[in-house]
This record gives sequence, C-alpha cells and structure tokens, in this order.
Amino acid sequence: MTLTVPTRKPPTTTEPVFSVSGLWKVFGPKPERVPADPELSALSPAELRSRTGCTAAVRDVSFDVRKGEVFVVMGLSGSGKSTLVRCLTRLIEPTAGTISIDGEDVRAMDRARLRELRRHRAAMVFQHFGLLPHRTVLDNVAYGLEIQGVGKSERRERAAEFVAKVGLEGMEKRRPGQLSGGQRQRVGLARALAVDPEVLLFDEPFSALDPLIRRDMQDEVTRLHREEGRTMVFITHDLSEALKLGDRIALMRDGKVVQLGTPEEIVGSPADDYVREFVRDVPREQVMTVGAAMRPAFAEETATGPAVRPEATVAEAIEAVARAGTPARVMDQGKCLGVVDHEHLLGVVAGVDTTAPAAAPQAAAADGTAAAADGRATGAARAGAGDARCSKSPGEAPGTPRRATPPGPRTTPEAV
Amino acid sequence: MATVTVPTSRTRTAPRLLKNRAAGKLLLLGLVTAVLLPLLHGGPWPDDLTVSLDKPLATASDWVIDNRDSHPVFLYFLGHVSNAVIWAVRAVYLALLTAGWAGVTVLGALTAWRFGGARLAAGTAAAFLACGALGMWVPTMQTLALMVVAVLASVAVGALLGLGAGLSDRLDRALRPVLDTMQVLPAFAYLLPVVLVFGIGVPAAVLATVVYAAPPMARLTALGLRGADPEVLEAVESLGATRRQRLLTARIPLARKELLLGLNQTIMMALSMAVIAAVIGAGGLGDRVYQALASVDVGAALAAGIPIVLLAVVLDRVTAAAGDGTTRPRTIGWPYAVAVTVAVALAARLLGALDWPAGWTLGIAEPVNRAVDWMTAHLYSGVPVIGGTADWAGHFTTWILDPVRDGLLWLPWWSVLLLVAALAWLIGTWRTALTAVLAMAAIGVLGVWEPSLDTLSQVLAAVAVTLVLGFATGVAAARSDRVDRALRPVLDVFQTMPQFVYLIPVVALFGVGRAPAVAAAVVYALPAVVRITAQGLRQVDQAALESARSLGATGRQQLWQVQLPLARRALLLAVNQGVVLVLAVVIIGGLVGGGALGYDVAFGLAQGDLATGLVAGAAIVCLGLMLDRVTQPTDRRPRKGA
Repeated sequence: MTLTVPTRKPPTTTEPVFSVSGLWKVFGPKPERVPADPELSALSPAELRSRTGCTAAVRDVSFDVRKGEVFVVMGLSGSGKSTLVRCLTRLIEPTAGTISIDGEDVRAMDRARLRELRRHRAAMVFQHFGLLPHRTVLDNVAYGLEIQGVGKSERRERAAEFVAKVGLEGMEKRRPGQLSGGQRQRVGLARALAVDPEVLLFDEPFSALDPLIRRDMQDEVTRLHREEGRTMVFITHDLSEALKLGDRIALMRDGKVVQLGTPEEIVGSPADDYVREFVRDVPREQVMTVGAAMRPAFAEETATGPAVRPEATVAEAIEAVARAGTPARVMDQGKCLGVVDHEHLLGVVAGVDTTAPAAAPQAAAADGTAAAADGRATGAARAGAGDARCSKSPGEAPGTPRRATPPGPRTTPEAV
Repeated sequence: MATVTVPTSRTRTAPRLLKNRAAGKLLLLGLVTAVLLPLLHGGPWPDDLTVSLDKPLATASDWVIDNRDSHPVFLYFLGHVSNAVIWAVRAVYLALLTAGWAGVTVLGALTAWRFGGARLAAGTAAAFLACGALGMWVPTMQTLALMVVAVLASVAVGALLGLGAGLSDRLDRALRPVLDTMQVLPAFAYLLPVVLVFGIGVPAAVLATVVYAAPPMARLTALGLRGADPEVLEAVESLGATRRQRLLTARIPLARKELLLGLNQTIMMALSMAVIAAVIGAGGLGDRVYQALASVDVGAALAAGIPIVLLAVVLDRVTAAAGDGTTRPRTIGWPYAVAVTVAVALAARLLGALDWPAGWTLGIAEPVNRAVDWMTAHLYSGVPVIGGTADWAGHFTTWILDPVRDGLLWLPWWSVLLLVAALAWLIGTWRTALTAVLAMAAIGVLGVWEPSLDTLSQVLAAVAVTLVLGFATGVAAARSDRVDRALRPVLDVFQTMPQFVYLIPVVALFGVGRAPAVAAAVVYALPAVVRITAQGLRQVDQAALESARSLGATGRQQLWQVQLPLARRALLLAVNQGVVLVLAVVIIGGLVGGGALGYDVAFGLAQGDLATGLVAGAAIVCLGLMLDRVTQPTDRRPRKGA
C-alpha cells in the first residue's frame, strides 16, 4: 500500500538561475565604506549604527537559486529579507557583492537591459498587492504586457487567460477596490504570471491575508509550481509557510543568512541556538521525512508491511504503521531502503535520537549548496546527527548495529 | 534595554525642559531689550526710521504709464499677454452670448447631470434661471467668461508647477515656501502690482485671478504626485516601466483625486478673486456689487450678490461631484450633451430669444431696499432692552475696537516688535519669530505704522470673537452628532461663498464703518474654525478617550483633560486659519468704511495714486506674513504624551 499524498515537490536541477555572492546593502551616509572595511563590517548592528550612522540591511549574503525550485528567504521583520529580494532586480541598489541571473551580471546592466530583466525575466508579487486602483482587474493583469508594448487585443486575451488561471473568471471588469484581500493578491499573482517570467519573486505575499485565505493562496502557489515548475523566490516571516512551500530555506537574522538548507535540515539540525529556538514548536513529524527514522531492514521485513516512499513525512509513516500494526517499508522504485517502526518514529516526534549518529560527515548545515540533489537519505542522516546534538547525548560510537541508513542500494537488494 | 530607557527618560524630562526653554527665550528677549532700552524711546514708529517710497514708486508708475505703448517689454511681451487675455475673454463671452440663456442653462444642467446626477442638474438649471430672473444674466456671463479664461490659465500654470514640484525634490523645496506664503496673503495685496503693469482693465483682473488661484492647483498636484502609494509605484517599476510610463499610467491617474480637488479649489478661489477684481476693472457681477455698496444700495448689491453665491455653490458641487471618484451609472455622453446644447441654442436663436426676456425679470432691489429702510428705522437703534444693530456696532467700536487700537498705538513701537517676537518664538521657532519681527519692522519702515496697527486692532478683535464662537460651536459639533448634522450644510454653503459677498448683509444690518468689517470677517472665518475644531476633536485617539471614560471621567473632564490637549495641533491650526481668513476680509472691509490699509489700497486705485496703494499693499503682505508666522506651530516641538 503506497500513500498517495504528494508531499514534496518535483526534484530540482542544480543549475542556478540567480547566483548571489557577498551581497551587501547598507543604508546611511557613505554606505560603501562598510563592506569595504573589514573592521566596520564585523561590527554588530547597534555598534555600526552608533559608529557610522549606517544600517546594514543585508550583510554578506551568498546563495544560489536553482532552476525550478522554490527558494524561501525567511526571517523576522527587520531581518533584511525584503531588502534582499528587491536587490535581486535592483529595485533597491545593492551596496556591494555580485548578483547574476543565468550567468549575466545584474549589477553591470544598464537601464535598458535592467528594464528588459524586469519586463521578461523576473516578476514580483507584493505584500500589499501594488495594484492600480483606477484599472479593472483585466487591465491590471495586462499592465505588465502594456508596459512591454503588447497591443491591446492581444494583451487582453493573454490577461484573460491568466485571470482564469488564478480563479477570477467573471471578475475581469471589477476594480481592485471591489475585491477581497485574497482576490486582490490573485490579481497580483496573475499580473506577475502574465509576463511569463523566468523567476517569480514573492515579497511576503500572504502576510496581509486572513489565515484561511492564506492557506488557499499557499495551495494555489503550490499548484502553480507543480503545473509550471517555475522558479520562485519567496519571502516570508511565517515559519510554517516557509516549511510548507520551500524546497530550500535561507533563514535570515540581522541581515545575515544564519542557515540555508532544506526544511528538514533546518528543523532537524538547526545551525545555532537562534534557529533552534525558532523551530522549537514546529511539528517535526510534518517536516521530517521517513529517512530520519529509518533503520536497516531485517531480512523478513523486506517483503511485508506497508510501503512508504522515501520522501514521505514521518506523520504519513506513523499513519501507515498505526493502520497496519507492523513496521513500514521505505520503498524507492521497487527497492526497500529500510524500515520505520513505532520506536523510531516516536523518537523523531519527541526529538530524541533513537538511530545512531551516522558516520556521514557533519557538513556545515548552512552550506546549502553542499546538499546533494538526491540526498533525502543523506539529509536524513545528517538530521539524525543533528538530533544527537539536540538531545545532548554524546552519540553512540560508530559501528553499533543501529546505524543510520546509508544510501539505499547497499541495504535493499530485493525488489517488492 | 538601553534603547528602551533612553526615550522614557526623555519623555520624563520633556515638560520641564520645555518650560525652561520657554522661560529662557523670554529671558533672552528681556535681556536684549534691557540693553537696548536706553537707546529707544516710546510712542509710534519714529520718523527717522522710515523710508519714504512714495517718490520712487510714483516715478516707476509714471514710467510704466509713459512707456506702456513704446517700450519693447510691453510691445513684445506684456502687450501680447494683455491682448491674448482680452481676446480670449471676449471669445468666451461671445460664445456664451451666442449660446443664449437657454443654451448655457442646458449645457450647465447636462454637465451637472453627467457628473452628479439628476438632482444636481435640476439645481444647476434653477441657479442659472435665477441669475436671469434677477436681471443679472449679462453680468453673470461676463464673470463666467473671465472665470473660464482665468481658471484655464490657472490650471495650466498650477499643473505645470505642481508637476515639476512633484517630480523634482529641489523644485519642491524651492516652491513650497513661496506657495505657502501666497496662500496666506489677502486677495487685495495682489491687485496693485498687476495694475501697475497692466493698468486697470480685464487683463489685470484675469492675471491677478491667475496669480491668486494657481497656487492651490500647484500644491495639490505636487501633493498628489508625491503621495502615491509607494508599493504601487514599486510594483510598476518592478514590471520594467520607463519613467514616462510610470508618470502617465500610474502617478497621474493615482493623483486623480488631488488633481480634481485642486481644480475645485482653483475654481473657488478664481471666483472669489474675479469678484474682488471688480475693483480693478473686471466688470460683471463683482462690479455691480462694488458700485451698489459704494452708494449703500443694499437691494442692488443683493441682486448681484445672489448670482455670485449661486454660481459658487453650483461650481463647487459640480467639481466636487466630478472629483468624488465613485463610479456612477453612465448618464449622458459628451457628444449628446453638446448636440442637445447646440440644438437648444439654435432653437432659441430661431425664436429670437437669445437675450433674457425683459418681462421675466424680478426686481428685488426695490423691496429689499424698502426692507432695509424699515430695518434702519426700526432695528438700528432704540429697540427696547436689546438695543439696535447700529447701537451694537457703535458699542463694539467704542468699547472694543477703539481701546484696542488706541492701546496698540500707545504701546512703544519696540514693545510691539518684542511682543511679536515673544509670541512667535513661543509658538514656533526662532526662524518664524525672525520673519515675523522683520515683517513688522518693514511695516514701520514703510511709514504705514498707524494704519497697519488700526488694521491689526480690527483683526485682533475679529479673531477673538471668531475663536470664542468657533471653539464653542466646534466643541458642540464634536460632542453631538445632531449639532454636527445640522451645521454641516450651513458650513458647506458658507465656505464656498466669495469673501466679497459677506459685505452685503453686514452693511444692511450695521451700516458702514469698522464694526461691519469686523462682523463680515467673523462670519467669513467662523466656518473654517468650527470645522477644523470639530474635526480635530473628533479625530482624538478613541482609545485614549475610552480609557478616560472607563476611569469614570465626566464629560467635562474628558473634554478638558483628554480631547482639548490631544487636539492641540488642530486648535492651533484653527487659530492660524482664523487669523489668515479674518485678515483677508478686514482688508476688503476698507470698501465699507473699515478704513486703514484696505481703504488705502482702494483709495490708491480709485485716485490713480498707485504709490499709496502699493505701499499699503506691501504693508498688507507684511501683516499677513507676520500674523501667519506668529500663529504657525511647528513640527519640531516635542509632542506631549508621545
């Protein structure tokens, strides 16, 4: 029996769309001296402000956004995330660092080239929608095309298509003032989609919405991403939203990225106390995949029991195990990677390590680029290691029978 | 925690610091005076400190008159401006006459219908017909023609300036103080400079109107362009719009409300000025009122005054409806409106009914004058117990205006400057104080100290009455919804009427003199003061009021301890507005026996003695500046309870 809930997104490739390195944005008098001077750039925000009168909104940030992934930048208000996303298309001019889109240097672009980038390659969805109140829904959606010089009938036709796509048929003639918050953001989304951008940038798009509407909109984004596979950069201050939508999450604090990794890595192995505090109340079983609770299968277990996919969450495995009353097999393309049982699943929920720490290298969790694309299992192994630290158990010596699962093929010779 | 403790300690010490600072300012001023005292002597402004501008101004005015037909500046620039204005006004006037009374009424009604619906259309038609019925069709069309040209020019000039100020920070910084100052100057101050250049006549009237009416358009255009929702502009930019696209598709449409409000204000100010400009040859309704007032013919003044009020109300309501922004069901398209108008005009022409039929005129001048005569006989004086209106005016003059004027003139001139400095510094900053003192000193230097203090005494008396009545009514309106609802339509009408019109009823009631001028000023300034006070009190933080109520504060305690202190800024604004508006009408009161600076201006115009008029005009500007700066609160003061 295979659970059908598709929890995680289609796999992403490693090819970067946006590549950001050493990015700084400093507000204040003579901002360029701050990144240039190692002494100034090492100061804490309060010290920097009193010494120079400057505020560093983004401090030395580097990351890659891969093609087709949902890259979430998350942080509390004032952490610099909104500034960061505006730097990507130079709505805010960065102070230092490099940004490239498909290998082309964004900071070196002239005005025409930059307009070209904004018109065709990156479109943004805003927190307060940013709709033109004097235009109808249809004309708002068509606005990006109008800017590009697309003829009236063609742009209206295309706009109508996207109005339908976000579920606003029949409202084309209304004005933004006559719509609810959720509907307005659908218009904002349709406007961004209508220009067929390579990347969609979301700046806290659902923060101003009611919780139920917000969930609808998140599902809408998930659906659109599944259907079109468009690259998205998503800014949010809501951890559950980040975990729900993100393929990878960059967690920001005071302008710095404190951890970058998959949701599982962020929850499973927080890089520092700040992140740990942040993710403390996350229902771990919803985020962690079965890999975190997996142990090698005994010979008799490889053929029986419910099957779950490796990308299934612990919560799904719990359901399967509870229904069947026996350990569940983790199956990947007909191979049994291992099994999960009551004990290990409960261990993950409780945040207590029941699997032994892996011999796998404890690579810096913040180094997101190191996370292998196929590495759910590796990630799980690291998550296990993180758990060990978390529960303050010194970790059992390598070589105990209950090792963390090494990559599948070695332990699962049999087909189902 | 450090960041938390700093502001609390600051708020705790703020009141003491404030007191100290106020005391310090006064101490410093006192010291300066004590040092200078031996050098100064009392009495009015000393003669040896005045500079007589009469000669140079007379020379300049003579030169202009001599060279108006020969100098290249007049021949190639000002002459063309003048001719263009005359040509445009005449063209509009002829067009209005060609359309005939029927055509104009229909066009007005259809325009009102287009913007405001059937009720407004009916009101507009009734207003136009009333103008005709009062026998004022031709003067109404003259005023309208002048208005149309002046408003078009004002809107063009204002919108261009506003566009510049909206897009360029530097231009905005340069323009703002100029526009702010222009807004506080009385209309009368603008008349003489244009007369000096253009002579008395329609061009001078139109240009004075444009100078007076363009600032609100410029201010509101700049405000609208600057006030656009930044996230919308960011969204537009994120889609890759060019600057031009951003301006045309986002900034200007987003500023629509402000632009139409600017149009509305410009039209109202243009009407106000077009009426006052009768003094410099505008003709039309204003001229009829002016002539009638000069011979104290209240009936004739009223017959011309009513069309002015009707015109004001109609123009205000139609433009306000256009700026309302709510989308209405489409009533009638422009092509239809124009077609109907042309058809009606042609029909009227074929029937030979272009001019208002003589038999339809209602002579109200006679009965009104009879009523005024009756009032003069029965109400002016000798009414038992309450006395008569003329008695009141006389008492007001002898018991209030005279003592205030004599007191001001008795004060040594330097102590007047000191008072101005102290007041302005306590309410504002040293900058506003310096401007105020310099403006006051300039009045002395110009040699018009005494008439200026006379005007000032009238302003002070009128402001005192206005504030007492205005604050009381404002508090009542803020505390009771019923009073507010009852007052609203009254205030609406009063705020749209041009200043000139207020002179008519006060002359009927009180005769001529200083008291009627003060009464007109009070009536003119009262609506604004009431409105600002009521609004300020109503906008007080509801949570603060609720918490006071929950602690068991009585209505009186809520008013004195919560509402009034929290509405302090609104109250100061009400004082400032009251002073500015009162001054404007007190000056015009010179036409009905108010004397002082207003009379000097009118006298200068009537006698062709431009030097006297210009000096008086300059003194008006200085007085306006001084009064505005003295009552201008600043943002820099630490806010209480922050």
